[in-house]
Amino acid sequence: MAAPEETVSPVRRAVELSVLLGLLVAFLIVSVVIEAPTTAKRIGIVLGAGLTLVMYSFLYRDNPLFKIAENLYVGVALGYGAILTWKLSLKPEIVAPLILDPPHWAAFWGELARRIVPIILGLLLLTRLSRKYAWLSRYAYTLMVGWGAGIGIPIVAHSYILQQLQAAVRPLNAAAASDAGFWASGLAMLGALVILIGTVTVLFYFFFSVEHKGVGGAVSKVGIWFLMVSFGASFGYTVMGRVSLLIGRVQFLIYEWLQVPQ
Amino acid sequence: MWYRLRIPLVICFVMGLLAFTQEFIPHPWAGAFRQEMTTWFRIMGGFGMFLGAYSLLHMHITRIRRKMLGWGYSVFVFIGASAMIVSGLTEEIIEAVRPYPQPDAFSLFQWLYDYVQVPCGATVFSLLAFFMASAAVRTFRARNAGAALLLVAAVIVMFGRVPMSEYLGGLFGAPGLFPKSADLLMEYPNMAAKRGILLGISLGMISQSLRILFGIERSYLGGGD
Amino acid sequence: MAAPRGNTKWQTLARYVAYLVVAVAVLVPYVLPLPLTFKPSDWAKKLYDRVEALPEGSAVLFSFDYDPAAMAELYPMSLGLLRHCFRRNLRPIVMTHWPNGVGLCKQLVEKTAEEAGKTSGQDYVFLGYKPGGSNLVLNMGESLQGAFDRDYYGKPTEGMPALAEVKKLKDIPLVVDIAAGGTVEMWIAYGRDRFGFDLGAGCTAVIAPDLYPFLQSKQLCGFLGGLRGAADYETMLDKPEDATKGMQAQSLVHVFLIVLIISANIGYVWTRVVRGPED
Repeated sequence: MAAPEETVSPVRRAVELSVLLGLLVAFLIVSVVIEAPTTAKRIGIVLGAGLTLVMYSFLYRDNPLFKIAENLYVGVALGYGAILTWKLSLKPEIVAPLILDPPHWAAFWGELARRIVPIILGLLLLTRLSRKYAWLSRYAYTLMVGWGAGIGIPIVAHSYILQQLQAAVRPLNAAAASDAGFWASGLAMLGALVILIGTVTVLFYFFFSVEHKGVGGAVSKVGIWFLMVSFGASFGYTVMGRVSLLIGRVQFLIYEWLQVPQ
Repeated sequence: MWYRLRIPLVICFVMGLLAFTQEFIPHPWAGAFRQEMTTWFRIMGGFGMFLGAYSLLHMHITRIRRKMLGWGYSVFVFIGASAMIVSGLTEEIIEAVRPYPQPDAFSLFQWLYDYVQVPCGATVFSLLAFFMASAAVRTFRARNAGAALLLVAAVIVMFGRVPMSEYLGGLFGAPGLFPKSADLLMEYPNMAAKRGILLGISLGMISQSLRILFGIERSYLGGGD
Repeated sequence: MAAPRGNTKWQTLARYVAYLVVAVAVLVPYVLPLPLTFKPSDWAKKLYDRVEALPEGSAVLFSFDYDPAAMAELYPMSLGLLRHCFRRNLRPIVMTHWPNGVGLCKQLVEKTAEEAGKTSGQDYVFLGYKPGGSNLVLNMGESLQGAFDRDYYGKPTEGMPALAEVKKLKDIPLVVDIAAGGTVEMWIAYGRDRFGFDLGAGCTAVIAPDLYPFLQSKQLCGFLGGLRGAADYETMLDKPEDATKGMQAQSLVHVFLIVLIISANIGYVWTRVVRGPED
């Protein structure tokens, strides 16, 4: 996310530093005045608000404080994911049953036998990090990838192709068989046709091995129109999504940091 | 060497064939095989996490060791990761040793998550609101018919999805006009296009799966022979 | 074609003006609340009605597949859904496919359970996280207790009252996936279409348009899209909170942006009429 380095004049740098110090003092005064940070929760909220505002400083320009917060976040997220994976996956599945809380001796071999193959395969995965022994990881990867590819074919064909094709055609049947009034059936038929035409023309647009000329070109053009509408809708929703994230942060600053009554 | 390439490719093919055929075999053995395989991969997934963690830490260690530009910031990655790992493991040990768990006890691990990871994670993507707004205002132009169509669709959706549209529509006696327009746009042309894209992607996924099974696609094997 | 040098300062100014407009539009409703109301969308209503139709004591599986980056949109809808379940005395079973979302799930479950006076293991269960993605779903389809032999707090799931008569996914009438990524499609293909339960979804606005084909094909029984979906659910629960308040700011920002975009385009078209088409 780093912006290109800008050259900043000493005067501007001095002004920026003064403004930064002023904002820091104001932030601390406001935080203390609203509620003295004497509890872990309040200290945390002040820290969270500080990190939020530091992140927003990127809007002015890339700066060391932002970079520190960004890298701290990366480290914390990594550590959290690692501990959770240990606590909720590796420990209960492997370590606890075999080492920390092993069953009776006779049952232990059964537990080990159940787990030895995935443990070995998991360790083989880690050999990917070694230049000399990386080829060993292929045994584990090919098992996973082969399984995923094999089981994916019928599942994708059923859920994403057959079900979707059925849904593209079913409204046409329903509209044709409907005994609602003329306008109602007509509109339903029109909607069903729009769906079918849109689906087919967009699918055709992506067949680049066929030259898009003549009738094919016209079909492709209609597909592009549908795609433009869908991209516009996606853009609208994306703007909505990003603004929602901003609203979430503003609500945190207003209701939790500044404790404005709701 | 045949054991570095041929055997893995054979394993991939055989595994894929078994995975494919067990879908069509109603015998309990097929279900048991599927259950066993998915359990294996679930356990292996845990090891995979550490691969990703190592890669990231290795990248930052390299930056520090070679004193690359901005290497000082990489130190904070280790500070954050160490704080989480040490606090998390300490709590695991205390939990294992202490006979009576205390649910209200202060947890540094949870505190760091709540007041460092959550604010930073939530804020990073919210920056995009400003960038999107700025980019949209400065560069979103109806240069041709396609772009104009995109713009109109975006405006209909952006306006129809907010309560303001119902309020303004209500002033003209049709509060549902704009939301309904947005719904129709989403449920007909947008849905048709997304379905076309989904069908195309699915066909591509099937063809890619077949390429993997037959050993034509080998990028997942990594470098070397 | 590079912009003339003289425009750089104006471009920078335009950028900061756009930032200021967004910031002001977001802050204004918290100073001057807007009297805006709205009707919940049909798809949100369908999900609400599906939960309403469940008999008391039914199990509902929630897969909260998001992390703090998406919490502004998805946390309010997750809160609403859990509150609805507890209000109706249903048995939520909560899990996640995202390790960085476990903390948020824990907060959600503990907060709503405390509000409703519910007990973990008796009235609800928080299973936590396991890696595996689609393999985990397939595992759960054969045996829930096999996939999660303990809950997040370390209690064995075998014989747990909250999981009474729930041995596999087929035994759960409704599964709801609240997603920031591609897990909805995964639940459809590896879960719903194999094991036959009803699947509802909540998702960020960014991926919402991609789910419409599954709504029309009835592979999804209901759907909450973005902050608006969360606000719809709060309205139906008659408990307006963060999402409903957020819609005021959302309205203002959208209107400001639309006005700016349209004005810029009017200016652009006028420039083309006066100067002629660009090269």
